[in-house]
Order: sequence, then C-alpha cells, then structure tokens
Amino acid sequence: MTDTPESTIPEPQLNRRSFLKGCTTVAAALGISEAMIPKLVEAATSAQRPPVIWLHFQECTGCTESLLRASHPDIARLILDIISLDYHETVMAPAGHQAEKSMHDTLDKFAGKFLCVVEGGIPTKDKGIYCKIGGRTAMEILADVAPKAAAIIAIGSCAAYGGIQAASPNPTGAVGVKDLVSGTPVINVPGCPPNPISFLGTVLHYLTFGRLPVTDNLGRPLFAYGRRIHDHCERRAHFDEGRFAEQFGDYGHRNGYCLYKVGCKGPGTFANCPSVRFNDVDVWPVSVGHGCIGCTEPDFWDTMTPFYERLPNVNVPGIAGVTNIDKAGKTILGIAAAAVGIHAAVGIGKSMVTGCGCKDKK
Amino acid sequence: MTYEKHYVWSILLRLYHWAMAGSIVALSVTGFYIFNPWTLTNLEGTGLFPMMTMRYIHILAGYLFTGAIAARIFLFIFGNRQERICDVLPISSRNIKNLISTLGAYMYLTDHHDEDRLGHNVLAGMTYVTTIFVGLIQIIAGFYLWLPESSFWQKFGDMIFGSQQFGRYIHHLLMWYFLLFALIHIYLVIWNDLKNPDGLVSSIFTGNKFRHREVK
Repeated sequence: MTDTPESTIPEPQLNRRSFLKGCTTVAAALGISEAMIPKLVEAATSAQRPPVIWLHFQECTGCTESLLRASHPDIARLILDIISLDYHETVMAPAGHQAEKSMHDTLDKFAGKFLCVVEGGIPTKDKGIYCKIGGRTAMEILADVAPKAAAIIAIGSCAAYGGIQAASPNPTGAVGVKDLVSGTPVINVPGCPPNPISFLGTVLHYLTFGRLPVTDNLGRPLFAYGRRIHDHCERRAHFDEGRFAEQFGDYGHRNGYCLYKVGCKGPGTFANCPSVRFNDVDVWPVSVGHGCIGCTEPDFWDTMTPFYERLPNVNVPGIAGVTNIDKAGKTILGIAAAAVGIHAAVGIGKSMVTGCGCKDKK
Repeated sequence: MTYEKHYVWSILLRLYHWAMAGSIVALSVTGFYIFNPWTLTNLEGTGLFPMMTMRYIHILAGYLFTGAIAARIFLFIFGNRQERICDVLPISSRNIKNLISTLGAYMYLTDHHDEDRLGHNVLAGMTYVTTIFVGLIQIIAGFYLWLPESSFWQKFGDMIFGSQQFGRYIHHLLMWYFLLFALIHIYLVIWNDLKNPDGLVSSIFTGNKFRHREVK
C-alpha cells in the first residue's frame, strides 16, 4: 500500500470515542479506578485547564517526536487537544518575535497557573552560552519561566538528568531541571524518549487532582517508574531458570531466553515499558530481542554503557586502555599474588643468608 | 623457657570471624554466578532454578555477613581489650610505635616482637577497620539492589550510589576488595605464625595466644 496524504495525515479532529479511549488508557496506566475516568474526562475538557509553555533546550526533539508521531494517533491528538500549547518551538504557528511575544503573554497573564514542560538539558558552563534561544541562554529562560510556573514537567532524560550532554566529560556542564530550579515543583518523566502514556498520565493527574503524582526519590512518578523492568519482564521466568541468550542470534536468543548475558539493563532500570509498551502495537525493546539500555536512569550514558556488557568498564591506573571489570579485578589480584610470592621469597632468602628467621630457634 | 597462655579472642569475635570468612566465600561464588551465570544456559524442562537458588544463597549469606559486621562493630566498642577499636588504630604513641615496627618487620628490616601486645598489630587493625567500613558499603549496596522499592534503602542507596546500575558496579568492584583482602590476610597470618610462635592461627579457633616466659 502506498502512502497517500489521506492515509498518513491523521484526522484533524479527535472524535469522542478516541478521546474516551485515550483517557481510559491513561487511567489504566495511572492505576486509578474506573470510577475516576469521568473525572479525568471532565478535567481534560475543562475550559480552565492551564496553558503550557514547552521549553526546548539541549535536545534532539525526540521526546516531542515520540509524542506527535505515535503510530496510533489518538494519544498524540489527545495530548495536543487537552493541553493548550502556548509556546512550543516545534509545533507552534508563530515564529520569531511573535513566538517570543506569545510566551511573554502567557507568562504575564497566567503567572503561577501555567504548566511548564522542559525538554533537553541546560548547559551551565561559561554562563550557559552553549544553548541560546532568541538571544537568551537556556539558563536565563528557565530562570525567567520556572518561578512563574505552577509546576514543571521535565520530559526525557536530558531535562531530568542532563542526558547525553551531561555524559562524561560533560563539555557544556549540562544539568537537569531539578539542579537549577527550587521553589517550583518539578517532576521528572525520563526516558529516551519516555513513553507518551507516562507523560500524558502525569499531565492528566495534574489536571484532575490539582497536584503532581507521587514520585520516587529521583522525582519520577511512581505510577510509571515504581518497578524495575526486570520484575515485570516477560522473559523473567527464563532468568530464574537460568536460560540465557549467550549472544545475539544464537539458540537462546531465537528461543526468547533472557537477555541478561547480552547486557540487558532491565535489573537496574525503573520504567513501565513491559506493561505499557510502545506504539500501540504491544512491543518494547526486550520483546523484540534487544536488551534494555536503561534510558530512564540517571547518567545512563556513563553507567549503562557498554550496552552489551553487564557493567561499565574500569580504568586501572598504569594499565593502558579500558578493561572489563573482572579483568581489572583479576589483574589486581594477580599483582597482589605476585607481591606475596616475592615477599615470601625474600623472607626465605633472608633466613637462608642469616641462618634462621624464627625467634624461638635463636 | 616456657609459654604462658592468654585468653585473647572472645567467642563472639571467633564466631564473627568464621561467619565473615564463610559468607565471603559464599557471597563471592554466588555473586560471580549472578553476574555471569556459568551453568548450561539452554536447558529446558529440568525443574531447576539455578539463578533463583544462587540468589537465595547469596541473600542468606548476605544476612550472615550483615550479622558478622554488626557483631564486629559491637566488639569495637564493647569488646575486650584486644578487640576494641582504640587498641588497633594509630591514636596513641604505643600504637604508632607498633605500626612503625610492624612495617619494618614486614619489609624484613627489623626483627619485630611487641611483648606487651596480645591483639592485632596496628597495620592489621587499620586494615580490619577499613574492611568493616567497606563491608558496610557492600551491605548497603546489597540491600539497595535487592529491595529497590523500599523507600528506606532507596533513599540510602540513591544518596550514596545515585542509581541501581552504579550501585551494582560498586558492589562488584568491592567484591574484588574482599578477595584481595582474603589473599593478603591468609598470607600474612601464616607469615606471622612462622615468625612469632604465639599460636596466631590456632587462636582464631581456641581464643588463646601464647607468650614467652623466661624460667628463672
């Protein structure tokens, strides 16, 4: 089937059926009662719902793309429909001065009432000159917008923890929103990109209940980031029974065994991927044979790489190059064993020269 | 010349020592398995749960290890003279002197025998205090990895390690510290037992050490 404009451009209007389906999906993801769905619907259609200012900093727009290009358009349309986007560089109609004006209008008119969504890390080195929009640095824009917002949603791992910009050696000094903002509640919806359902759930929770959902220690909503991938993984039984894919394409991999030995980071990653899945076609990385890369965790570019090994490499001082953690351990243990051997040999040598090393025979 | 017998190590210290030794062996072996399962990984229909069994032993041994560390910390404060922390750290002139003479003896420069000391030499004592500290971090990392949803361990672990993955990394690296410690510890205990006939090796079974006494 060839793509025609009719088949690829979604209907501009969200019909009632799709709208209710979207709200129900989100209610399920939030884990709230069916009886609450009318409340969600009411909140999502309320005329008083807060406008949104969407700030783009050091990012790839992948988070926005994943929201707008959901294969099944309901969720994407629902997001655009329920939140009134006053400023979003990717999808807004105004440009240049008009765009800046619409942001300032919202800041003035809805001070303390609008939602701010931040996408991307914020460079702080050299006064933040590495990211500028409309002549202002990202730091200045955030410092201007954040205190006036009712709440801030940091979408994606970059806004939450700095992301790939903050990966070692972090040349621009990138940080996440939480490191710069105090006073305004900030919630992190990390992921690379995060699941649109997690974002929508956070927004709908805020619209319905007037507050942000309960979070874990790292500021992530518990409804989406309360459990490790490993604990809800469909391959978990293979893990428990010791059946593993040894390498990609082998017998175990073809038979759907656990991907632990090919570097799956599911055991260390909090996300709802196994239960919510992606693209409305019930898939996620592990279900199609690729291990989790841990994209919802802080500093995952540093701690989760190499992606096909269990643990990061270590640099042993004095030994060139990067080595595997156990090679490093064995090297150190080997050096210690050699030192022990030399020490013992010196002792034996000395006692041969001086007669005896033992006290009581003296 | 004869020997006089001294009761040096309490029962709790000896229990601590063997709980520690046993749990380190069990934790390292099962830990290596959990890190990189080495059993046949394509067997089906055996009814075996190798990973779960190894994890079960690992967690059981982890509790033993936790108990051992707790007992040693108790003894650092409430133990007998040899077991207390002030006897093993270089905080008095007597202890600093012992540290220097021990280093000299280990480098074969001097002949070392501290007649008024029954417990650890200060170099060993410092290493043990370090090991207990490393053990505490290892315990926090272990519980953090095992009970990630518990808000107590999450708060604790996130503060120290930042993320599960980094906690796992530290947990694995510190395991190598214990293997390194075990190697050097066993070597130096035998070395000391050969040098000074005070019954060092048997003292961890019996609690008794021996001292020279000149018969007049």
